[in-house]
Amino acid sequence: MTSDVKLLDVNNVAIGIERRKRETLVLVREANFDVNYGEMVGIVGESGSGKTMICRSIIGTLERRGAAVIGGEVLFEGLDLRTINEAKWKTLRGKVIGYVPQSALAGPNPVLTIEKQLAEALSQVEGTGSMKNRSKELLDLVKIRRVDTVMKQYPYQLSGGMRQRVMIACALASKPKLLIADEPTTGLDVTVQSQIMELLREIRRDLGTAIILISHDLALVDEVCDKIVVMHAGATVEVGPTSSMSKPRHPYTVALNSSRIDVAKPGGELITIKGNPPSVGRWNPGCRFAERCDYVQQDCLVGDHPALSGKKGEHQSACLHADKIGKI
Amino acid sequence: MSKKAKTPRPDGTLGIVIGAGMMGALLLAGLLIPWLGKYDPDEISSDQLLSPSSTHYFGTDMLGRDVFTRVFDAVFVDIGTAFAGVLIPLTVGTIVGTLLGISRNRRVNSFIGSLIDGINAFPFLIFVIALVAFLGAGLSSIILALSLVNWARYARIARTRAVVVNQQGYVEAARTLGYKPSRILFRHIIPNVSSETRAYALSDFTIVIIAVAALSFLGLGVNPPQAEWGAMIKDGANIITLAWWNSVFPGLAICWAGISVAVFSEGLTKRIGEGNQR
Amino acid sequence: MSKRDVLMEVENVSVTFGSGANAVEAVKNCSLTLHEGEPIGIVGESGSGKSTLARVMAGLQPPSAGQIRFRGDNVFKGNKSFQSGNRNQVQMVFQDPYGSLNPQLTGLSAVAEAVRIHSKVGKDEAEQKALELLERMGIGKLDALKKPRQLSGGQRQRVSVARALSASPTVLLADEPTSAIDQSAQAQLLKLFLGLLNDGLSIVLVSHDLGVIRYLTKRVYVMKDGVFVESGDTETVFNDPQEDYTKMLLASIPGELGKAAKAKLKR
Repeated sequence: MTSDVKLLDVNNVAIGIERRKRETLVLVREANFDVNYGEMVGIVGESGSGKTMICRSIIGTLERRGAAVIGGEVLFEGLDLRTINEAKWKTLRGKVIGYVPQSALAGPNPVLTIEKQLAEALSQVEGTGSMKNRSKELLDLVKIRRVDTVMKQYPYQLSGGMRQRVMIACALASKPKLLIADEPTTGLDVTVQSQIMELLREIRRDLGTAIILISHDLALVDEVCDKIVVMHAGATVEVGPTSSMSKPRHPYTVALNSSRIDVAKPGGELITIKGNPPSVGRWNPGCRFAERCDYVQQDCLVGDHPALSGKKGEHQSACLHADKIGKI
Repeated sequence: MSKKAKTPRPDGTLGIVIGAGMMGALLLAGLLIPWLGKYDPDEISSDQLLSPSSTHYFGTDMLGRDVFTRVFDAVFVDIGTAFAGVLIPLTVGTIVGTLLGISRNRRVNSFIGSLIDGINAFPFLIFVIALVAFLGAGLSSIILALSLVNWARYARIARTRAVVVNQQGYVEAARTLGYKPSRILFRHIIPNVSSETRAYALSDFTIVIIAVAALSFLGLGVNPPQAEWGAMIKDGANIITLAWWNSVFPGLAICWAGISVAVFSEGLTKRIGEGNQR
Repeated sequence: MSKRDVLMEVENVSVTFGSGANAVEAVKNCSLTLHEGEPIGIVGESGSGKSTLARVMAGLQPPSAGQIRFRGDNVFKGNKSFQSGNRNQVQMVFQDPYGSLNPQLTGLSAVAEAVRIHSKVGKDEAEQKALELLERMGIGKLDALKKPRQLSGGQRQRVSVARALSASPTVLLADEPTSAIDQSAQAQLLKLFLGLLNDGLSIVLVSHDLGVIRYLTKRVYVMKDGVFVESGDTETVFNDPQEDYTKMLLASIPGELGKAAKAKLKR
């Protein structure tokens, strides 16, 4: 196999908001991970870790919020996404790269019926057959039964889980190569969450779509993804195949793992991470996890934030003392 | 090598400063000029209809009175009336609307609710004009009429908001904690309802300033010789081609007042919007 | 097994909203008992009626039929609840951290208000007590002075808990307290609840996540469409669920627990 062009390659990416007369507000400093064709990658982190910003840089909605990629490169099939203009974005966004937003925040347009919603998504793409049939196929794809009834309904008549499925259907209209699901099940019942995860797995299997799943829930990501990327305070602190991530090599991941409710004993000790995630932009020198770290050493507090060890594809950690962690 | 990020949206501070500055300047002038100025606002003279000059900055009117002094003499009359015409409906409307929103009494709710909807169905200015005509001309009539009509608009906003606030967790928590109903109403519900009605009041202020002037223009306002913008415009209306300054300057004053409030409220909205984005 | 004090009893409670053709029965003839020292969980999906039941237990919603009793006394007299001066004994933490705090009050003000009303102390003493309470909840002085919009979801929830605790309750009802917050914030909140349990507070936890219920409670009631379909000791229900619905809920828990339950289902 020749050195393949990866579907997505995020290299040392920094994202910030440039402000007049003030220092640039840095939101993401060293994001590093890649996504291969057909791979399911989970990005885990607390709020403020930068996971949503990365996702915006991949679909090109940073500018609207006054932010921009200020360092590193985001390569989609070899193309540097920082260099393209809006016209080129329009050929990618919603076509080759799909996006499903957080369930609680956005959703289908409340004033359009599901049929119209899907038609709008399908009108951007070429296809055979009538719009109606193509729409029904999409609803089928996301396992919605009673297709004829649902087509005529408005979003408010559907449950949260159904609405998310419709959003996924719209995103899949163009058979994208990459689907970004930003906290798609936050706020939904676990039963619905479980069904949507199953759905994403099937989509990956049947359509070969690569999926980036952004979540704060390590247990969830552990269950469904091939690769896990852990973000903290704007940097990728650990990344690796899910199987090897069960032995984490960064204190933050260790802490996240230990605070999982599914592995805790009932009424037993639950390890929590001290303190709160650092506020965006107010980062101390040295490792940005040092203040909350149980294994902190002197050299962790000075200099630059540690870089990721190893190469992409391996189990990488941004901890100066990763080897010691592995032994615990 | 990076793409320059678009400059972040400007915040509202500029609007707040400009708006407040404009209004402040107007109020200050309204205080100082009639007091310290050369002329008395009601001083009749034989220098009738003089065009603007270095002795009479805004010229004189039909009775030889200095227009400049009169324009500023009217400041507190017009703005004061408008202020009262907003404050009273704001207070009454917020309280009534809130009580309605949280009340479970169906009969009261539908009765007062219909009253509110009924009043709101009328075009504002026409209703006010009719009321003032009925009550008899005068500033107090204007304030009364404005209050009787406008409270319903605030009440509607307050009622909708109160229904939402009433269902919020912190209100339920207050009930669970056993707080007295009066405390819940005045310390938890009303402050969160009045944030919306107060916002509406700012934009309403601009309209009421104009309404007050309009009513006076129609002859329903102050009694002469008190200076008042609307009345001044009316007096100058017939002779506008000969002596434009009689109507134009008071008109500009109204614009100035209205714009200052509008700019201020825009700026405030932007500022609050910024805060909400975090 | 010693007989523990019965703190609350829910006896054949039904709650119906609307009337006539539009009537919706959110809770149908449910009964449960809360013993001192035995935290219970009510688990079900959205629409199961669990939140309504919790609100009835908190005295916020009168039942259409049946009784709620606190230490033997009826909670509701007509539509009014907790009239015998025991209003502070049963407190509640609500699901939505974004709506449970007055946006205009700082955390400190909100908690101090509650302290002042319940302990009948002066302003300064109330603020002092409030700060201590917030500290116990992991909210430091700096954060206590912030308004809700400056706090994270997890922090808001902890302020809500502090506020509820100002009343020195015997029973705390928690309606989906962890649903809208991060995993790490969830862990912090649950650890907090565990501490409160050990301090003697009796907790009724309402959730759609059996993983959370398993961690904190000793007895669980599984609710579906307004009815309890299964109930029993938490461990027993976990290891040996009787109803298909319960098995389905178990299989949905993210992570290891879910995997194990799914495996059992396949057998």
